[in-house]
Amino acid sequence: MAEPVVVGVDTGGTFTDLVFKAGDNWGVHKLLSTPKNPALAVLEGLEKVAGRESKRVVHGSTVATNTLLERKGARTALITNRGMEDILEIGRQNRPNLYALAWEPVTPLVPRELRFGIKGRILHTGEVLEEADPEELRRVTRKLRDVGVESVAVSLLFSFTQPRHELLVKEALAEAELPYSLSHNILSEFREYERTSTTVINAYVLPIMGKYLSHLQKCLGAKNTLRIMQSNGGSISAGKAMEEPVKTILSGPAGGAVGGFETAKAAGFNRVITFDMGGTSTDVSLMDGSMTMTTESQVAGLPIKVPMIEIHTVGAGGGSIAYIDRGGSLRVGPRSAGADPGPICYGRGNKITVTDAHLFLGRLVPQYFLGGKMKLHREQLKRPFTEMSASLGISEPELAEGILSVANSTMEKAIRVISVERGHNPGDFTLVTFGGAGGLHAAHLAQNLGIPRVMIPKDPGTLSALGMLMADIVKDYSLTVMLKGHKDHKEMKEKAHHHLERLERLALKGLSEEGIQMDDLILEPALDMRYQGQSFEITVPFSHHFLEEFHKAHKKLYGYSDTAKPVELVNVRLRARGLTPKPRLNPIKVGRATPPSEACVAKVETVFQGRTMKVPVYERKLLMANNRVSGPAIVVEYSATVVIPPFAKGEIDSLGNILMEING
Amino acid sequence: MKAHPVLLEVFKNRLSSIAEEMGVTLQRTAFSANIKERRDYSCALFDRQGELVAQAAHIPVHLGSMPLSVKVALETRMHEGDMVILNNPFQGGTHLPDITLVAPVFISGREEPDFYVANRAHHADIGGVAPGSMPLSSSLFQEGLIIPPLKLVERGDTDEKVMTLILSNVRTPKEREGDFAAQIMANITGIRRLQSLVKTYTLDKVHLYCRELVNYTERIIRETIKSIPDGTYTFQEFMDDDGLETLYIPIKVALHIKGDQAVLDFSSSSPQVRGSVNSVYAITLSAVLYTFRCLIKEDVPMNAGFMRPLKVITSPYTVADAGFPAAVAGGNVETSQRIVDVVLGAFSSILPHKIPAASQGTMNNVAMGGIHPNTGEPFAYYETLGGGTGGWSGGRGNNAVHSHMTNTLNTPIEALEFAYPARVTLYSIRRGSGGEGTHPGGEGLIREIEALAEMEVTVLSERRRTSPYGLQGGQPGCRGKNLIIRTEGAVDEMPGKFHAILHPGDKLRIETPGGGGWGRRNGQKCSG
Repeated sequence: MAEPVVVGVDTGGTFTDLVFKAGDNWGVHKLLSTPKNPALAVLEGLEKVAGRESKRVVHGSTVATNTLLERKGARTALITNRGMEDILEIGRQNRPNLYALAWEPVTPLVPRELRFGIKGRILHTGEVLEEADPEELRRVTRKLRDVGVESVAVSLLFSFTQPRHELLVKEALAEAELPYSLSHNILSEFREYERTSTTVINAYVLPIMGKYLSHLQKCLGAKNTLRIMQSNGGSISAGKAMEEPVKTILSGPAGGAVGGFETAKAAGFNRVITFDMGGTSTDVSLMDGSMTMTTESQVAGLPIKVPMIEIHTVGAGGGSIAYIDRGGSLRVGPRSAGADPGPICYGRGNKITVTDAHLFLGRLVPQYFLGGKMKLHREQLKRPFTEMSASLGISEPELAEGILSVANSTMEKAIRVISVERGHNPGDFTLVTFGGAGGLHAAHLAQNLGIPRVMIPKDPGTLSALGMLMADIVKDYSLTVMLKGHKDHKEMKEKAHHHLERLERLALKGLSEEGIQMDDLILEPALDMRYQGQSFEITVPFSHHFLEEFHKAHKKLYGYSDTAKPVELVNVRLRARGLTPKPRLNPIKVGRATPPSEACVAKVETVFQGRTMKVPVYERKLLMANNRVSGPAIVVEYSATVVIPPFAKGEIDSLGNILMEING
Repeated sequence: MKAHPVLLEVFKNRLSSIAEEMGVTLQRTAFSANIKERRDYSCALFDRQGELVAQAAHIPVHLGSMPLSVKVALETRMHEGDMVILNNPFQGGTHLPDITLVAPVFISGREEPDFYVANRAHHADIGGVAPGSMPLSSSLFQEGLIIPPLKLVERGDTDEKVMTLILSNVRTPKEREGDFAAQIMANITGIRRLQSLVKTYTLDKVHLYCRELVNYTERIIRETIKSIPDGTYTFQEFMDDDGLETLYIPIKVALHIKGDQAVLDFSSSSPQVRGSVNSVYAITLSAVLYTFRCLIKEDVPMNAGFMRPLKVITSPYTVADAGFPAAVAGGNVETSQRIVDVVLGAFSSILPHKIPAASQGTMNNVAMGGIHPNTGEPFAYYETLGGGTGGWSGGRGNNAVHSHMTNTLNTPIEALEFAYPARVTLYSIRRGSGGEGTHPGGEGLIREIEALAEMEVTVLSERRRTSPYGLQGGQPGCRGKNLIIRTEGAVDEMPGKFHAILHPGDKLRIETPGGGGWGRRNGQKCSG
């Protein structure tokens, strides 16, 4: 039998992207998304790229995310301890904006009348202080059925030390055939509000995700496999994703981060900062040999504590609007012209955006923008630029370059958060950029941050789908153990080992259900530690030297460590990674240092630092490996433009990536 | 050199980043729950004259007081690597648990520093008569260790004598030591970032944009004041009591708006009282700054420019400007809230659609301490509780949330029970506590904590006698309630401010006030 076609499918707001490999051939395909029923575009795309061939599909879906953002989830109930029904609504008692006298609160996903408190209390030691009452549980489940509840979250205090009561509730719910999400399954960690919120979100999106995925699976048929991208950068079987959909909420950006990292590794770089600039916002993440993970995410004001690739987002993108504020400062974003009306140059907008500034400076080349299919109205920029620059008392090109500088300073701040604030020197990293607008800003951004090298992967517009195709199967397990600062290092290690063994058994079972063989399985045990009395933990790999590792990591992050201080082991973690075959990227045609003459398709006038220069425009698909392009130059392709400023030099590597060297 | 509108924005980002990065270091490495969970700290940058250029404030009560700390610290001659510590409320501090650390930044090789960085953090205990150092005191001397401005770090080395003296006077010295390490590191972070900023842009340019950002903020605040009709507006409110002898303590403001300037006169407020609700001038100033900051919609850097068009007048030895050695522990947390109520009240007649009815008007401070039975070591725990916020023209108030001068995270029940001999038995929204109105006030909350060991508890709370006001015909919110439920079942209703011993099995139950309602509506008056 022929090898199945492997396909990564990324559903976005506008386009559904497919990247596939059939035999030795790679291909990409883009089609319009079908937001009402995303499966239509997915199935149509799959049909188009692989027809009746058998397929191995990895899919990044926005169904769970949109269900949450649009508040279109199931009628969900919460079962919790009596007297604790309001934890979900109280949250952490803080308000979103320090200086808001009044604000719209985030409405809890479960209204008060569907939050049920039951008898029973577990202590932090795992002891049972008060037993649950099975009779009461039956009463509550009957009530749930009566009021038409479609999904139930169960979150009891300290369930991670002793799940007995949650399991009792589960029995009652199973008997009543109600779908359930148990907090100790979803997230076996302390901090009740965050655990409850995560569990409730899971329950809220579960029926919708279940419907969507079973429909897709049915249409695909038994001979094709379907895996789903998770926010942790790994994929999981569709069946498991139906049980734990909360783990897929940020899978789109995760696909991009994995795609960026995998292509960078293939090009020989394993310390990278990814930079994905879109129309309204920019996502950045950092990989120091491996993905940086976080458990502190929020979506629409609701915390989600499951491990995710740490992706920091700021409100600056191509559509961000420039304006002069009351104090006379030039501001850019976070308001965006979006797709409608869009930038002025798209023909309908009337507010200057970042994209307009690029066009004004000649850095976007109209005849190559989206293959020339979309008309850019450069003539409409003149008046707004004249007006705004006059009121600022600067020249028009100065304004246009200023807009880009201000946007860059916002994005620079985002990169500083994930690098400098975490003890990393950006100078040690390669900036990997994708998204339509990334290549327009990357060189300047790198220069500001002292980053020596920028990489623009091949096919930057479909990198997220590529990341999905490349993703390993990953399951994360964790457990709060809260081992107090033992003086005796050996005892802590033994206990950690004991708890990790428990997680290992779960992981082996979980991954074998995913069809992973022992040979392809990597277990990555880790410990969340802190000095006893602190509130934030640092994750270090579990090894013989885990204590030293912790002190070292603390020093790197915060500048000091103290080996005399007692250390506390808060959580044990286990990441189980099932290796999937990674299709090799194909090399492109090799050329010489000088690009072929046909690759230079135009010369345009472009402004850099107030100086107008005649700049060559290269068509990316005509460039060959080894070609060198020194700045100033512009490289265009269908979905992206790369600006190589005078201070940078570009080179095409064997895989078709553009590498830019930045001179500080 | 002239300021460029583009670089102005770029510097705004860069300078605020530095203050925020200092805060990240402080929060993530601190040991006090107050700092790490409640974010009761601030970090700031100052120019060579000691003028505030950027501040990352997570808690508004530090807004006006940080510049005063630096001013006092500047009286000590500082060398490279020095850091001055202080907490004396009458010498640049606010209340004793708030400890400030000021450091000079030397870049150009001049004799005088080119910048200063500072951070202030609320420590869980600084000694005194009660665990948590928020006692029902009648003089500053009871509230804890008083630290005048002196060098904690000299040329890079911690002064062990000073450190030992401080640590010998507090209940949980290991925790304090950890917090000091975090504070020192936060300043070092600020120093390093400023050095690298200067390297990128030159010292002259950084100074220029520091000045320009101060002017920028000044322009915005002046424009905001200009949009408020000229006139004099007065408002008066009462503190419940001082916890000892004085009831119904008046706080009055006369707000004069003229053109782009505002004068706030608190001089006819009550003389200072014996109990600990006196606020030093810095606190009154902070409350005023917070209120004006809330009137500005956009992001605006908090710096010296903000204070220029504002004048805050007080009379010495009043509750709004206490004199040595008045007790001030509660001024920071409680009186500051009432000052905000009063200033917002004064605005409510001219900006009826902007100003919400009163929020809970208290922080419900709960401090507990004793010896942990499992470890034999002393513990000190402190938390504050949210309540209702006021209704406003656009909608109802919010439930169970921190308002105005504080915005801290609560300590999770599971974190609390892991660390302290206490158990939370009830934690809920206090339904029906918001004032009625077209737009009702938000609800308070109820928190019930059972002691598992003998412990001392101190509660400093307000709005137990007076109620959060309604506006435009709305009803006041319900008053709060403090109860101790004894093991044998007796329920003691406690006053707003008290100190008591809890025995194992006793429960402390706090019911926090609701917010005031906005707009007239037929309904019942709250009886709470």
